[in-house]
Amino acid sequence: MSPVHLFALATQHAQWASVRQAVVTGNIANANTPGYGALDIEPFSAVFNDTALTMARTAPDHFALERAGASGAAAGGWDVKNTGASVALDQELIKADEVNRAFALDTSVMRSFHRMLMASLRSGA
Amino acid sequence: MIDPLRAATQIAGAGLDAQSTRLRVVSENLANAQSTGTAAGADPYQRKTVTFQGEFDRLLGASRVAVKSIGNDPTPFEVEYDPGNPAADEDGNVKMPNVNMMIEMADMREATRSYEANLQMVKQVRTMTTMMLDLLRNG
Repeated sequence: MSPVHLFALATQHAQWASVRQAVVTGNIANANTPGYGALDIEPFSAVFNDTALTMARTAPDHFALERAGASGAAAGGWDVKNTGASVALDQELIKADEVNRAFALDTSVMRSFHRMLMASLRSGA
Repeated sequence: MIDPLRAATQIAGAGLDAQSTRLRVVSENLANAQSTGTAAGADPYQRKTVTFQGEFDRLLGASRVAVKSIGNDPTPFEVEYDPGNPAADEDGNVKMPNVNMMIEMADMREATRSYEANLQMVKQVRTMTTMMLDLLRNG
């Protein structure tokens, strides 16, 4: 619909934040486990930069390419990396707070754009 | 793999469970800090220790925590001279438990700290879920 795929992007980012929250929770739960290395997922920008615009198919003989925008990003899930460092509770809580803020941003963006769309619909009626 | 936010709640729940087991063991140690054996020359209460291990949960697609084992501390017992004690051997020595109050208190503090951290994660996940559900309400 819109060229920026705003809702798709916000959904992707919210999904990324949820996965990161789960990973951080796992780290905190295992804070006292001997030999456990803290996990983290790849930053959202890394995935986002990989997705690029592709050409449209105007005839059935054209090659099928991936869809444009950010919609193809999380098809295979997010990469979880082992950082090898031991868990520091304060660091993990800071990370969790970051995730929470990112999530709040996503939902606010979604809400305000949704309100905008609804406003345009209502004024048209 | 289930919804990551639900997975996070379950992982934090496993963490709460593990830390409360640890607190239980600390209480056991403290309660038995003076428990000697019953027969003459018998071994007293031996300090218990908890070990954790991360275990990969296929359904969650993430590693949660579990209590691996509750073992015994092999530190030698302290010997006190107390001939009137029923647990005293023929020389009047009584073996006392190898529980160190200071260590137990420190362990208790750490367990409480970790418990709080896990609880904080449950709260944050709940906030995130509420934010998502509020999208429906304000639409």
